[in-house]
Amino acid sequence: MIIKLEKIRVQTRKSEELINITDEVERIVTSAGVQNGLVNVMTTHTSSGLLVTEGIPCLEEDILTHLARLFPENEDYHHRRYLDYDGRLGFNAPSHLKSVVGGISCSFPIENGKVVRGSRQTIYFVEYDGPLERTYMVQVLGT
Amino acid sequence: MIDFHTHPVLIREFVEKYPGYERMAREVFKIGNNFQPLETFFLQMDVAGVDKAVLLPVACARAQKMDISSNEQVAELCAKSPRFIGFASVDPLSKTAVRELEDAASGLGLRGLKLDPALQQFRPDDEKVFPVYEAAENLDLPVVIHTGMSWAPASALEEAHPLVLEKVIRRFAKLNFVLAHWGWPWVWEATALALKYDNCYLDTSCLYYDGPEEFFHFVFSKQIPTTVIERSLRNKVVFGSNYPRVEIKNMVAALKSLKLTEGCLEKIFRTNAERLLGRQAAGEGGRR
Repeated sequence: MIIKLEKIRVQTRKSEELINITDEVERIVTSAGVQNGLVNVMTTHTSSGLLVTEGIPCLEEDILTHLARLFPENEDYHHRRYLDYDGRLGFNAPSHLKSVVGGISCSFPIENGKVVRGSRQTIYFVEYDGPLERTYMVQVLGT
Repeated sequence: MIDFHTHPVLIREFVEKYPGYERMAREVFKIGNNFQPLETFFLQMDVAGVDKAVLLPVACARAQKMDISSNEQVAELCAKSPRFIGFASVDPLSKTAVRELEDAASGLGLRGLKLDPALQQFRPDDEKVFPVYEAAENLDLPVVIHTGMSWAPASALEEAHPLVLEKVIRRFAKLNFVLAHWGWPWVWEATALALKYDNCYLDTSCLYYDGPEEFFHFVFSKQIPTTVIERSLRNKVVFGSNYPRVEIKNMVAALKSLKLTEGCLEKIFRTNAERLLGRQAAGEGGRR
């Protein structure tokens, strides 16, 4: 049984953006040497996300546009208050809620050393509160 | 655009380089966010549309056992990018304060003075402090001085009342003072000082509850009318975010959401800061 965990840093450059990390996940799976098993990918933050969809710009735009429609900036959020553990105001409730709805992780089976995914499935790290340097985790389990 | 109020307290490159930097951020400045590479600072400026940022240290080692950034750290960041405008801070009760300020200006190229009486534990109207004001005046350095509420645990509100500064503002009439955070919650008192004294300015870096837009709409339309800014203080206000306590982009959006004219916003976002920093904008006359 092989268990390998990698933490990958990614510098986001916009307030919100989708970053295709499919190649990076596949590279880590290949380097782990697992032939059959599972790969889990997860963001370590609560105002960013991990999601899987077809890798085309129009969908990337639609995801951000319609999540913004669901969680507008100027709504009545309880999170808009002083957070003593952070020493600052928390006014990024929309970012957190987009993360909740969009999801923070995904997993794929590994077969014969390769990630088994649909031909159109693309893995994205999603920034909802950037630009920031972020971290996501890739854990490979199997034999 | 120029952001006149930022603090370089979450620079990851400094965590390993300077022992105590992390403790300063967590315990003295008090901020819990992750340290970020310097690149994030520039990207935060980019998404906000800000060209340059004033970096503010606080020399509070006597009172708080460590400084909030040092003049040397600020100068180091300024050497990395012309987008940074470094200010110095000195302990006004130190016997070497004047020399340190002169060195910071001439040797390190720092272009203003930051003081925080509550955190540095001095009375701004104490005559022992006057040589520092005189030095700043001689060096033509603007003074950003903390007023009002601070989230720093050791900073007492009552020691940061803006009216404590009136005597000094009057006495040093050629020295420009920027009252940070608009003196909140004493916004009328801070406003009155800026209305009355030519050498008194205000920065917009106040956010103490709700979100930036909600807070600005209350403070700058209900606590004081927006028209005071538009009509009377348009030449006396500079934009400040207080990053990283708040992201610059959110404070830019909040200020833009007020019903101020483009001409007024241009002064707040740029030309007033340029004038304070010694770059007289073409066509700008006196302060009013």
